[in-house]
Amino acid sequence: MSAGLFVFAPGFFDNEAVHVALAVGTAVAIVTAVVGVFTVMRGQSFAGESLGDIGTTGGAAASLLGVGPLAGFVAIDVLAAAAMELVGVQRVRGRDLATGVVLGAAIGLAALFLYLDTTQGSGNGSTVTILFGSIFAISSATIPAVVALAALSVALIAILYRPLLLATVSPEIAAARGIPVRLVGALYLLTLALATALAAITIGTILSTALLIGPAAAALRLTTRPLRAMLVATAIGIAAVWVGVVLAYDSYHWPPQEHGWPVSFFVVALIFLGYLASGLVKWRQEREA
Amino acid sequence: MPVPRHRLIATALAPLAALGLLVAGCGGGSSTAASGAGGKITAVGAENEYANVIEQIGGKYVEVSAIESDPNTDPHTFEASPSVAQSVGAAAVLVENGLGYDSYMEKIASASPSSSRKVINVQKLLGLPGSTSNPHLWYKPETMPAVARQLVADFSELQPAHKAYFEANLKKFEAALEPWVKGLEEFSTKHPGAAVATVEPVADYLLEAAGIKNLTPVSMQVSIMNGTDPAPQAIALEEALFTEKKAAAFVYNQQVTGPITEKFLATAKENGVPVVGVYETMPPGYTYQRWMEAELKALEEAVAHGKSTESL
Repeated sequence: MSAGLFVFAPGFFDNEAVHVALAVGTAVAIVTAVVGVFTVMRGQSFAGESLGDIGTTGGAAASLLGVGPLAGFVAIDVLAAAAMELVGVQRVRGRDLATGVVLGAAIGLAALFLYLDTTQGSGNGSTVTILFGSIFAISSATIPAVVALAALSVALIAILYRPLLLATVSPEIAAARGIPVRLVGALYLLTLALATALAAITIGTILSTALLIGPAAAALRLTTRPLRAMLVATAIGIAAVWVGVVLAYDSYHWPPQEHGWPVSFFVVALIFLGYLASGLVKWRQEREA
Repeated sequence: MPVPRHRLIATALAPLAALGLLVAGCGGGSSTAASGAGGKITAVGAENEYANVIEQIGGKYVEVSAIESDPNTDPHTFEASPSVAQSVGAAAVLVENGLGYDSYMEKIASASPSSSRKVINVQKLLGLPGSTSNPHLWYKPETMPAVARQLVADFSELQPAHKAYFEANLKKFEAALEPWVKGLEEFSTKHPGAAVATVEPVADYLLEAAGIKNLTPVSMQVSIMNGTDPAPQAIALEEALFTEKKAAAFVYNQQVTGPITEKFLATAKENGVPVVGVYETMPPGYTYQRWMEAELKALEEAVAHGKSTESL
């Protein structure tokens, strides 16, 4: 194996860190795909990006308190989603302003917490880990929490599916039919918060939006039917995470030797390639039609 | 009630005047301190182990302070505050580790330049190249004697009248270091081929001096020190050192921790591998020499009797 010619570098299938990464990555890819399709359809990408960034505050606070980052991400994202809802995220006009205001305030807190982390705590490198993720450093004890939160989000979307779809496509008709549009929107925002928190532990707070928006945007280029888009997005997300984990594992044998490249880089690059490929497929479909 | 115009102006100017006095006060303070003549020499050690050596050599003629002394923080990620900048700017003698470990020292010192300030950069003093990967120089037995000798030279230049006093302190310092240096030799003859696991290179020079083999891959140590994630292969290698009982002890840095180091700590304990806590800065209640002796004793307890010394 001197030339590094292999698909799976030695020890891939026995490595505990790889097992955990694959389990967590799969669960997260499913949730982000399902939630992400609605995020793209509702035009709430900025809210998703913001919730991801805001996760930094929660991760830094968690590191300061000595608890795991997932708890911090979930707590802060749910809080921030509630704040956005209160400040007025339900209106299309002014929605980005409300999101931006909450984002600014939260990132200010993140600056304080990260400063305190580096000056007061022993959490070395927490900044890099929070921002760019650390899927190989996740403890296997976190898997049940990840799976439970993922199941909760998908279940919420399943329950909300019909009213949420109508409220997304045409809020006026939804309201006329007696659907509580604002409540549905708020519950959706909760699932978005959970999905972003889960994406953050996988590829970091800054990159979480890539997993949320990328596969969903690619899928919606290929099909306009939401359920089918969710399936396609799930397939793209899972493929990106799995191939990303394999490549990151193999990169241990690439220069610089014995360090390995960050998983987040591979996952995000693969999602981007997936998005480009979907454009190509769509272009060919349109030409044939 | 109308207020006379000149009183208004006076009220407005008062805080400005006070500020002016304050600025003048700061400047005056630093210039007398830096001169070092007459009163005490002000000296700053970037890490408290260096401050301790300064104190042992300078004694009653030196006013020393340390910048990093909190055993719960990680010096690698330390960020200097304005008060640190002030005490560094005002010091006549500075001791810094170098190798990027305390690079803020150079930045602050160049922000308040002084031709009379004496700066001891330990890396340069030892003639080490900038590419040296392990910056934790104080665990090297030859480091502090060299620092102490340089301090005697610098202090004697600032206060020639007390040269004999500083030299006597150097003798005392060296004598107090002797038990540790002897202990290192004894350890290597008593436990040849002893092997341990680490997470971070903090005590690697100590291990080397005691003839102890460090089984942890260098790439892993550098990842943990720099706060990047170790590769899954490196994690598996490290875990195997505990589960396969290859390591006689787990040398654990109490100041650079995270989920991954805590996971290793748990695995080591599950497999009955004794833990030895090591530090980036001197723990409270020690002198430099006693600290080094305590670390060596902890290693001895672990390797010979399987006993943990998690913290000093």
